[in-house]
Parts: sequence; C-alpha cells; structure tokens
Amino acid sequence: MSAGAFVLVGGGQVAAVAARTLRRRGYDGRIVVVGEEPHRPYQRPPLSKEYLSAGDDSGLVLLPEQWTEDNDVEVRTGTRALKVSAADGAVLVDDGSSIAADAVLLGTGARARRLPGVDGEGVFHLRFRDEADALRDALVPGARVVMVGGGFIGGEVASSAVDRGAHVTLLEAGPVPLAMAIGPRLGAACARLQQDAGVDVRVDTAVQTVTRTGGRLVVATTRGDVEADVVVVGVGAVPNTELAVDSGLDVDGGVLVDERCRTSQDRVFAAGDVAHHVHPGLGRRVRVEHFDNASRQAAVAARSMLGEDVVYDEPHWFWSDQFGHNLQHVGHAHADDRMVVRGDLAEGAWTAFFLAGDRVTAAFAVDAGEDIAVARELITTGVAVPDAVLADREADLFEALEGLA
Amino acid sequence: MTEWHAVARLRDLQARKRTAVTVEDTTIALFWINGKVYALADTCIHEQRQLSKGAILFGKVICPGHQWKFDPETGEAEGQDRCTTTYPVHVDDDGTVSVSLEREAAAR
Repeated sequence: MSAGAFVLVGGGQVAAVAARTLRRRGYDGRIVVVGEEPHRPYQRPPLSKEYLSAGDDSGLVLLPEQWTEDNDVEVRTGTRALKVSAADGAVLVDDGSSIAADAVLLGTGARARRLPGVDGEGVFHLRFRDEADALRDALVPGARVVMVGGGFIGGEVASSAVDRGAHVTLLEAGPVPLAMAIGPRLGAACARLQQDAGVDVRVDTAVQTVTRTGGRLVVATTRGDVEADVVVVGVGAVPNTELAVDSGLDVDGGVLVDERCRTSQDRVFAAGDVAHHVHPGLGRRVRVEHFDNASRQAAVAARSMLGEDVVYDEPHWFWSDQFGHNLQHVGHAHADDRMVVRGDLAEGAWTAFFLAGDRVTAAFAVDAGEDIAVARELITTGVAVPDAVLADREADLFEALEGLA
Repeated sequence: MTEWHAVARLRDLQARKRTAVTVEDTTIALFWINGKVYALADTCIHEQRQLSKGAILFGKVICPGHQWKFDPETGEAEGQDRCTTTYPVHVDDDGTVSVSLEREAAAR
C-alpha cells in the first residue's frame, strides 16, 4: 500500500485499536489520532471499577508514547475534529487547520446522558478519566451516595463506592434493575448481589430533581426525598454524532454503517459507540456501547480502510465486575426466547442460556465466564446442545461443543 | 541443569483437563489439550483471574474473567500484544507431571 494518510477521530478505544491494526497489517502511511480530551487514548472500563475504587491506572493507557514513537503514529490531544470535508476528505479541526486524509475513521463515542434538573455541585457523571478522579475524591468513608440508574455502570459505581467505605442507595426507575438488559428474573438475581453487599436498592423510583441546601443534597424522587452527599447519574449514553451530521453523513440513532463499518460517504468509516451497524448475525441494525464491540469494529474498520473484504459479525459480548463478582453477557436474546439456567440463581456461580427453538441466542453468567466462551461458539455455529446438558452443571460443555461441532 | 518439580498425576489431569499447582510461590495452570500437557502462569496477565478456571476450547485456553484467548503453546493472547508465561513440562513414564520454573522463552 502506498503511503497516504489515515485520520482516526475520537482518541479512544476505536482509534487505538485501529492504529494498532493498521500498523500490524503493514500500512506504512501517515496515521493521525485526533482526540478532544487532554489525555492520550485510554480505556474506559476501569473508570467505574478498579480505577475508581483504587486509582489503579496500570492498565489504562492504550497507546504508550514509546509505541506511537516506534510506530510513527501522531497523537493530537486536546483537539476537536469539526468536520470531514466533502470536497477532499480532509479533517477540519478546532484550531482552524485541516489534516489531509485518504480515509477517516470516526470513533467519537458517546456521552453520558443528562437528566434535566439533576446537575450542579455534588452531582457526577462518569465518562472521562477526569470525572472518575473527581468522583473518587468525593467517595470518602461514610459518604452517602445516591446512584441514579440501576444499569451495569450503576452497579459498578455502587460497588466501587462501597469499596471506598461509602453508603450507597441505588435508585432504579423500573421495577427491577437490569431488566432491560437481561430480563426481570436475572435482574433480580443481580440486585440481590448488590443488596447482599449492603446497597439500599430502591426500584420504581424515578428521580425528579436534586437540590442543594446547606452542604447536603436532597434528591427528590417519585417515592419521596433521599438525602445525599454525592449523587452519581448513570442513565445511559448518547452517541456523539455532531461531526457526522456536520459532514453530511447519514445519521439515524448513530452514524449509519454497513457490515464493514463503512458510512454513507466514500472513505469515511465509523466504529464503536457512535456506529449504528448492520450486524449480519442479527440481520438488523444495532448500536452497541461495549468495549469489545468498539475493539472488534475498529479492527474491521481499519481493515476496510485498507481495502480488505471483512465484516463484523461476531456476537456482542460485555462484562461487568461488581461486588466481587464477574458478570458476562454474550449475544442478543429476544423477548420470547426461553431460558435455561445452569446452576442456582440464588447462590454461587450460574449461567442463563437464552434459546430460540434449539438455538442459543444469548447467555448471561455470574462467575461462570467459561460458559460464556461456550455460548459464544454455540451462537456463532448454531450447534444445538440439549437443554438437559446446558442445565447440568456437571456436564462438560466444552466437550459437548467440541463433540458436536 | 533444569530443576523439575513433580506437581500432578497425568491420570488426574486427563480427567479434570485443567488444574492449578503451586511451585515455590508460583501458581501454575496445567492443561490437558489434544493429548498434551501445557503449563501456563495461572494468573491472567490481564486482570488477575485464574486461567485454570477457564475454558479449553478448540485448543485454546480462554480466561473466565474477560475472555482473553491464549495459545497454550506460546502463551500469546489472541488479538492482544501481550503474552503470558509458559513453563516447560515433563511427563515421566509412570505418569508423573513435572514442571520447571525456567521460562520457556529463556530456554529457547
């Protein structure tokens, strides 16, 4: 491939994986990473976990300076990309200059959703490293923390807060935490892990406003007031599509991309949280806000930029570490899928498989990540394993799979 | 001269497929994969989970914590730039499995 220039917009997981993929596959042109944050690319999963609880930044940096130097990758921090020029594909940035590009990858990510009336001093959102640092400082022993939102981020922040000695009240607007993601039965099982750790989990409780009076916060909810020293809002994310819109790309619930992470515009690609991707395995569009999705889409996008014929069609996977437990999910279940449980939801390690007919569509596990590895293969291959085997904790699923595949 | 430490019976490992053993404060994961014994550092280089509690799938070791996939022969993690430690393995005629703490990389 002759030398040219690729610009990777976003400065996060997508840019980092794409830069590495491009160099690994022999691309020797110019690579410029453009990121708005003052920090070089870092990974976000630890921000609600070990980085929040203990400030452990050992695994945070994605592109060490030595690597970018050795691999001739330019990293521009504190620089906001404004637009991809329709005329020549160059990327216009906020210092008024433009960066020539043969292809552009948008990995602009998503931002934390804000709730109207829930802001001000003592109210935290969590997306950036600096926000994690500020929140950590506020999570002092004895602090009363109200976590708004019972999703996976809510659970992780609650866990880290408990680790730091805070008292946590978790407010969930729906009837069961995590029900949207894993259904009410499994959501309830996960909520028990939180309650067992001392978290006050309150469901059907929607937050209305937060007011500050005399150094303390009062969280007004549909079920009365809750006093707090710290309020953390974790109610989902909104894709950062402004640059794509301003560049004239097709945007609908995210930047529209095909199986190969190509946008509506030639030589412009998108991956990660911002991308609304046509997933061949699902046969429909889906926008996914997971680390693994960002990594895998970025690798596919990078290869597409090089002209390779590759699609991203693997099952979506994510994990959560909270309250000493490791939660993992793979695939996409439908509302009417049946569920086969391996183990006992009330205690210890367990896995729930979701099936349409005899085909596994998804699985969720607590402290049983090895089952998720098998589920991923079952989803991909469509190999049918009898319910009785899936449900039997003594049955070796690896052998079942390798024998049937 | 390589110092070997007897750590397991082959028959037990064949039955269980994976186990963890400790040699001089080092915990090693043993695997029986496709008719061969492999020894890797038990603590995943990613997030301190135990590889010995992971999956063996199509000849690879998958960490239960975050699905990192390791080649038991080389210790390479698929799609990552990092490598875990592998240890030399010796199996006696009587089925005694021994490992050495001398890293394979150093021996090559």
